[in-house]
Amino acid sequence: MLRVEKLAFAHPRQTVPYEFSLLAHAGEVTAVSGASGSGKSTLLDLLAGFLVPISGQIELDHENLVPLPPEQRPLSLLLQSESLFEHLSAASNIALGLPRHTLKAEQRQKIAAALAEVGLDGLGNQQAGTLSGGQKQRVALARTLLRARPVLLLDEPFSALDDETRVVIRELVRTLTVRHRWHTILVSHHANDVETLASRRYVLRDGQLLAI
Amino acid sequence: MIGTKVMLTLPHRPIRILAALTLATAIATLIALVLWAIMAAATGNSTGSRIDIPHLLRMTSIQAGLTAVLSLLVGAALAWSLNRLRFPGRDMVVGLFASAIVTPGMVVAFGLLSIWGRNGWINRASEALFGTSIGNPAFGLSGILLAHVVLDGAFAARIMLARLDAIPSARLKTGQSLGLSAWQRFTLLDLPAIRGTVPGLAAIIFLLAFTSFPIVLMLGGGPANQTLEVAIYAAVRQDFDLVGAVYLATTQIAVCSLVILAASALAPIPTSFGASTAPRWRDAGLAQALQITVLGLCLVGFALPLLSVLVDGLSSGIGRIVAKPSFWWATASSLLIGSASALLTLALALTLALGRGATGRGIVRTLLGMPAFAYLAVPAVVLSLGFFLLVRQLGLEASFAAPFVVILANSLLALPFAMATLGPPLEAIARTRGKLIRSLGLSGWQQFASVEYPLIGRDIGVMLALAFCFSLGDLGVIALFGTQDFQTLPLMMFRALGSYRGNDAAAIAAILLIGTVVAFVGLPKLFERIAHAAR
Repeated sequence: MLRVEKLAFAHPRQTVPYEFSLLAHAGEVTAVSGASGSGKSTLLDLLAGFLVPISGQIELDHENLVPLPPEQRPLSLLLQSESLFEHLSAASNIALGLPRHTLKAEQRQKIAAALAEVGLDGLGNQQAGTLSGGQKQRVALARTLLRARPVLLLDEPFSALDDETRVVIRELVRTLTVRHRWHTILVSHHANDVETLASRRYVLRDGQLLAI
Repeated sequence: MIGTKVMLTLPHRPIRILAALTLATAIATLIALVLWAIMAAATGNSTGSRIDIPHLLRMTSIQAGLTAVLSLLVGAALAWSLNRLRFPGRDMVVGLFASAIVTPGMVVAFGLLSIWGRNGWINRASEALFGTSIGNPAFGLSGILLAHVVLDGAFAARIMLARLDAIPSARLKTGQSLGLSAWQRFTLLDLPAIRGTVPGLAAIIFLLAFTSFPIVLMLGGGPANQTLEVAIYAAVRQDFDLVGAVYLATTQIAVCSLVILAASALAPIPTSFGASTAPRWRDAGLAQALQITVLGLCLVGFALPLLSVLVDGLSSGIGRIVAKPSFWWATASSLLIGSASALLTLALALTLALGRGATGRGIVRTLLGMPAFAYLAVPAVVLSLGFFLLVRQLGLEASFAAPFVVILANSLLALPFAMATLGPPLEAIARTRGKLIRSLGLSGWQQFASVEYPLIGRDIGVMLALAFCFSLGDLGVIALFGTQDFQTLPLMMFRALGSYRGNDAAAIAAILLIGTVVAFVGLPKLFERIAHAAR
């Protein structure tokens, strides 16, 4: 279980600090919604380690994550865009999710399996910049599979997608979350995404997370 | 504790920062030693020098000031014309003007003499047609200004054109739908776009002209138009007046530092150029005629001297010069020094730029940016004078130290341009992709090999081309360290001119120009291909 307890942060010149508390369970999508500027991105940056909190706890199965730098946190990140290095092939992007010094043959096999799982067989050699929005998000999810981190942070991941692709990728996220027992935290201001995917819902208001 | 976003989204790279700080300290120490050598020589010799420093300062300032004003006017007119006109080969013409930054000053000076000199094309045509000569406008202050405006005007045009091409298409569409006249368009859309470049460009052009060496040496025509830089060279090599040289160098450093201080407060100049996505909106009638005239005049002014260098060089003395063993030694020296300087510049610039991109701390970023100012504060001849004195004070054999000093000095001279080429893209990668790189836990090497190198391959090629071309065309450093046994092509050309072997000089000028163009066009393409293959 991922437990965020009274995680406090204030941007420069912010008089009243944010204070976040939430629970997220394995195999479930926990959604956080709120108006623009309500602090959704700040919450994700705190969870990912890009911001240092004033106080509070982030615990995953009773292990405190706050002292860990971003690269050592047990989580993967999927952004609205720019989740991939567009000059690299899809396979090279996915390979960045594997431990260093993984043998080439093993790399190829794992990448092919991950691509198959997200429905992109045979597209490994295609340059990421030439892929469609939905394909890019699938490649990023394939990389997440290989990283095998227990927490997945999603920052408006469906915003750049058309309605049809949005439904497909949303379903893929739900399937992978259940299958791999991820603690998925979705930040979105789209009510439809939240209602369709989330088992648990929070709304950000006045710097606080309110469970719905 | 309140965290700052910038610091933590940048990948954690202590080794990069440490390496860059060590390098910056080493460069600062070296510059300090050079300055110390100059100051020590000044204080150790109290005998008076007869050099008229106020006169030199006044002449240098007038020349540099006029160059800055004229170059900005020509640059703005040319950029305006190029922005409006579309014709086959336009990209090549823009590339031609972009190459001004690397065209050796002495090649341009030689080309101007070929066109406008006493025995130049214009005089020969005028005498054949009208039986009268137009004199020698390529000599003296007019010649210096002409050569500087040819080079610096083209440089200014390239910077301003980048700004004009970057005007948002929405703004252009609005202007076009409102039916703005050519004048309204210029004042409402163009002028605000290029106004920001003017102070920074003016300062840089002033400094380039203030520290100009080969052009003033070749076209100055005597003490009346001498600048501080040439006076230092004359004091060391011709009059053996080291004290005078040191006074001149100190004056030059003081003035350059003042201009840099003023310039540092001015708006920055963009170093990368985005492709224009603006809709086509041509001016009509008189404005278009004016643009065609401006472009035609600038093409004649810039391309004709270079064309004359090629025609004269390839038609007259090339067979004779290539038969000389000294030519091949000089060519080998030039290529070796150019390649070594370019590689050293790459190592220095990459270390500094990677370190700078890895930190968000203002003080560290300032420290790592400072070595780039070394050249501007301590120009070529002053830097080589300092090295010259340092080598003497250390008791080293000048001929032994010469190749190393020339390579090092050329690298330091190219460093600001190299930093300006590599710095912005590396910073952009660190800031826009830092979050992703950090969250994936990429190592420093993975970050470089997978992300940075493939993306900056072309920039590395551009940087190597700049450094190689600067070194290939350098006369300021080699002029003090060159000997009969150790000379480069520019020094050989200068000596050929000094001993009235015009055909030899023409052939060398043509070879230098061809080498510069090949390197400037070829290296970026080559490295772009290599980097692409690494993806």
